[in-house]
Amino acid sequence: MIVLTSDRSSDIAQRSDDTGSLWVRVDQLKQATGWQLKPEGVCLGEICVPLFEPEREAWIADADDWVWFCYSAFADKIGQKHVRDGDVWSLGSVPEVRRLGLESGLAPDFEMTDRSGDTVRLSDLRGRKVVLFTWASW
Amino acid sequence: MNLPVWQELYESIGPDRFELISVAEDSQGEAAAGKWFDKATPTYRCIVDPTHRISSLFGWVNVPSGAWIDEDGRIVRSNEGVFPDETTINFGLGRVRLGNDAFAHATRDWIERGPDSEFVWSAEELAAHLKPVDDDTLLAEPTFKLALHFESLGDSERALRHFDAAQHLAPDNWNYHRQGWTHKGTVYAALQVLKKSTYLKKNTDKNYYDPMELPGENHRRFTEPEWFWTPAVNALKRLLRRQPSTA
Repeated sequence: MIVLTSDRSSDIAQRSDDTGSLWVRVDQLKQATGWQLKPEGVCLGEICVPLFEPEREAWIADADDWVWFCYSAFADKIGQKHVRDGDVWSLGSVPEVRRLGLESGLAPDFEMTDRSGDTVRLSDLRGRKVVLFTWASW
Repeated sequence: MNLPVWQELYESIGPDRFELISVAEDSQGEAAAGKWFDKATPTYRCIVDPTHRISSLFGWVNVPSGAWIDEDGRIVRSNEGVFPDETTINFGLGRVRLGNDAFAHATRDWIERGPDSEFVWSAEELAAHLKPVDDDTLLAEPTFKLALHFESLGDSERALRHFDAAQHLAPDNWNYHRQGWTHKGTVYAALQVLKKSTYLKKNTDKNYYDPMELPGENHRRFTEPEWFWTPAVNALKRLLRRQPSTA
């Protein structure tokens, strides 16, 4: 199963019983979505979303000798859009991340590799002015 | 493409004074964008972004788009249509002319004068320029990513289906339109751009690019491309005008 997010494509395990929902093995959750299960809830960086008991019961399950998390149900809770075609799931932006970014006025951080093979991390360029622009060949 | 003009601007302002980052939003990646970068021999940072990640992050819906980011990491200006000079793009059946040097002058002013530049936006001005994001727009993003994924696998049927869905969900996103149309060829894409932009101009108050609100922005090339056709296309158009359809 493939999970696409804004910055990655992850080939991860799939539950043998296809429930129609996106179940992600807990040990692959961070790799595939960026989120992690913690005692305080489901966390992405500084953001933690608490899981209440009914959700914990419904969204965490044992199957195929692994522990799984129902990510599509969690995504619905936080308003993250998702689309599926076959065994490929594509996840949209996390609205809370977008909201916090807008409120702070800070440019969204990114880390990408440039054509020279060097890592470009926007936050590393603090202290300098940056002009960023897009273009396309099409 | 105006990458060499950016290089001239980068050198004349001074590479020690700012970082210039150029991002190619091309689903075909290096195969499509590489030759343009190579031709410009840029010394600024060049990134190929086949999944349009930067446009998604910054909420940009057309190319070129750009932002000024200050020393504290704050966006102090974000615009569409950021051509550094008058730009002509050839597409086989004709050419399109856009832009002038107003954005380059403003960029130089900001690099030199920082927050004292008259072109810097306040946080309120920046917020006022952000595109509205509704449920459909949010859903369009993963749908477009799905299209790019299938395109990269060579699954044209599924790629086109999701490109089409993304275009319907976010009809004002030219990146989704143009990248999707390009899957059927560059001439097809150019004609679709002409068709849609002509329709919008005639029937709505929408522009191809949002105005940049800069001095010198007194030409419609800032918001609308100017189209010029080859002599053969002009001759064909004249011929078609003389022979109205009897259907």
